[in-house]
Amino acid sequence: MNNEQNAHDPLVERVLVSFDLAAEHHVAHCEPCQAEREKLEEALRQFGAANREYSMRPESFWEQQAARIRANRHRSHSRARSVAVLAPALGALLFAGILLVHRAPQVKPEAQALPTVQADSDHELLLAVERAVESDTPQALAPVTLIVDESDGNFPLEKTSSKKEMQSHAN
Amino acid sequence: MENALTSTLGTAAQKIAAEDFDGIVRRHQRRVHRFLLMLLRDPEEADNLTQECFLRAYQNLSSFRGESSLETWLLRIAANLARDHARNRKASFWKRLLGLDGDEDDGAVEHLPSGQASPEQILLAREDVRAVCEAAGQLSQQQRAVFLLRFVEEMELNEIATALDLQVGSVKTHLFRALQGVRSKLRNL
Repeated sequence: MNNEQNAHDPLVERVLVSFDLAAEHHVAHCEPCQAEREKLEEALRQFGAANREYSMRPESFWEQQAARIRANRHRSHSRARSVAVLAPALGALLFAGILLVHRAPQVKPEAQALPTVQADSDHELLLAVERAVESDTPQALAPVTLIVDESDGNFPLEKTSSKKEMQSHAN
Repeated sequence: MENALTSTLGTAAQKIAAEDFDGIVRRHQRRVHRFLLMLLRDPEEADNLTQECFLRAYQNLSSFRGESSLETWLLRIAANLARDHARNRKASFWKRLLGLDGDEDDGAVEHLPSGQASPEQILLAREDVRAVCEAAGQLSQQQRAVFLLRFVEEMELNEIATALDLQVGSVKTHLFRALQGVRSKLRNL
């Protein structure tokens, strides 16, 4: 094909794209346009034929492909069926999960509150014992405190009366 | 299995479901495969997407209302699959970088029916076909789809419009631009 631009260029395309009476009339009476149209139509015809030829496959290819499509179809069908079966079970599981989540916060605070109460009362008890020991030694523990004081070498004056009492007991 | 499917379908689809789906595959697989092969220029992908196309058709049989022919409907599914495939391929930067992308050589050039033409005529025709292939390769996928459906599948403009979900006016515009590209390639020979 020559490199010269046909002055009536778009008319050839218009004729090939769809029926256009004016363009059709022009191309039919214009030799360069007629030649271009024939050349283009021939190239397109060859292109179509070459593509149809290229896509030809042996019969075995189509049979294999049909078999693969059938297998895919069956697989998709059985998948859809198992989804239909599993969906209620999954729903029940989800429901149970939601129930558990809703219950959990009611139980937890009780469980957590108990140890803190216990810890508080223990702590208070310990403090009370310490305070009692520090403020005054109980009567029953007096001899023990004396022994401790003696071993340390301390003989406080206020404790002498107690010492005398002990000696009188020994006698 | 077919009975369960049939119960959920409309009238047009019921007719199809009553038919053997394997029969539908056998009747239309060649055309769907050819369209995808020309559009993607990758035999392996064309094969995969043909299978996917029929699977989608089977799964969506209820949406087929019989407003177009079954073949046009199948080509529409194929065109949508090809469009999604092209989008994914564009996104796969690493695939292209590593050269794993499909070989885009158009094998159609070597498949000219020789008939009774002389070797010289065959050579010239081959050059023309190569030019058309190159021009088609430079078109957008939408334009290429329109061009192929018109000049390879020899479909009417309204059928192409239905298959590609376009207005007839858009089909004409796409064809017009595609032909301009082809003519300019042929001129440069």
